[in-house]
Amino acid sequence: MSLLISTAKENNLALCPQCHKLNDLLHEADKKEKIQCVRCHGMFYQRKPHSLQYTLAWNLAALIAFIPANLYPIMIIYSLGIGDPSTILSGIGQFIDQGLYPIAVIIFTASIIVPLVKIIGLFLLVYRAHTRIRLRPDKHSKFYHALELLGPWSMLDVFVVALLVAVVELGFVTSVEAGPAINYFTLTVIFTMIAANSFDPRLLWDLNSRDNKNQDKKEIKETNDYG
Amino acid sequence: MTNSANNKQLIACQQCDALYDKPELKQGQSAKCMRCGSTMLERKIDSIERSFNWSLAGILLLMPAILLPIMGVTLAGQYHHASLLDCILVLIDRGFFMIATLVFLFAIAVPVVRLFGAFYVTYSFKFKKLKPSLLYFFRAFHHLDNWAMLNVFMLGIVVSMYKLIDDTELSVNMGLLAFILWLISSTMASAALDPDYIWQKLEDEFVD
Repeated sequence: MSLLISTAKENNLALCPQCHKLNDLLHEADKKEKIQCVRCHGMFYQRKPHSLQYTLAWNLAALIAFIPANLYPIMIIYSLGIGDPSTILSGIGQFIDQGLYPIAVIIFTASIIVPLVKIIGLFLLVYRAHTRIRLRPDKHSKFYHALELLGPWSMLDVFVVALLVAVVELGFVTSVEAGPAINYFTLTVIFTMIAANSFDPRLLWDLNSRDNKNQDKKEIKETNDYG
Repeated sequence: MTNSANNKQLIACQQCDALYDKPELKQGQSAKCMRCGSTMLERKIDSIERSFNWSLAGILLLMPAILLPIMGVTLAGQYHHASLLDCILVLIDRGFFMIATLVFLFAIAVPVVRLFGAFYVTYSFKFKKLKPSLLYFFRAFHHLDNWAMLNVFMLGIVVSMYKLIDDTELSVNMGLLAFILWLISSTMASAALDPDYIWQKLEDEFVD
């Protein structure tokens, strides 16, 4: 299949990320410089500069913050003055003990699987986009879109703890206290969201479109030769 | 001259930068990228009208959703309830300033600003009071796209209800109803908004 698609970049155009207006680039030098959109007057770049580096850095920060997030207790339940600290994983264990499997699955997905998949997935995308080894732009850009949508759902555990702390406050009888892990966990979520934001999915396609064109040219050339 | 005239006839995919001729869409139609399959343009039905009404409803529901208690627990004869605002106040009380700030931003500030933003923009369109400042306003509005987490907070309410229902006597208050309605109206307000249409109109009006 030889879909001859040309990109905005090849035609010396740049898409404004805010208002989606195509801007002309008058000089070649503009390619790496800040452009002001003619429609919304916002400043932007044709491609996010150092996108892979930023993604990698934020991603690493998220991974580091994820370690204390799992080791420290996320919430401490006091009943009759005795504290019972629980980490994210032990909280999920309690749900399984009580037989609340759907809730256990929801919490496990939101607070363990989603951050991990996001961090590993972004590392993979950065690696693939940088080395171009076995890069499948169509698959990988869909994967990136899914990662972007999943991001906010990791905040679930933070909201649950915030609600429990506020609602369960019956003095000496029972009360809930937030643990230090909640800070680190929130940082993990924020960092992965920023990491996903700094990744530019168009990088997945950039070289590809040029390759396709070269291939097409080659094909044309070959047919010419044989013709 | 020729270039800028041509640009009005072109669109590019936000995900993969593929360039297309701008299609003429009727209300309810959308244009998908042939290469990566993401939606590039969508002409939503009655977008101004619908978004205006939903955001008005959201603004009316805002106060009850934030201030009314969402749920309460009874244990050993004691009763305590909490609203959305209480969650943040308690976190400040206990010294979790960062979490309090972020919960405030994601569950209150961003959704509220987005509602008022959508209301202001659709109000200006509905009553033909377009100002050049709308260009800047609507650009700023786009920065908040990813950071409203009311739907996640809703799931948080459900999970914590499950957590409490076993050990305590749980009671649900009016705040929950108000919160659900607020969630629905603010989601619908931003889903009905048609940024491409608004940008096009603003461009025709203010950018030569």
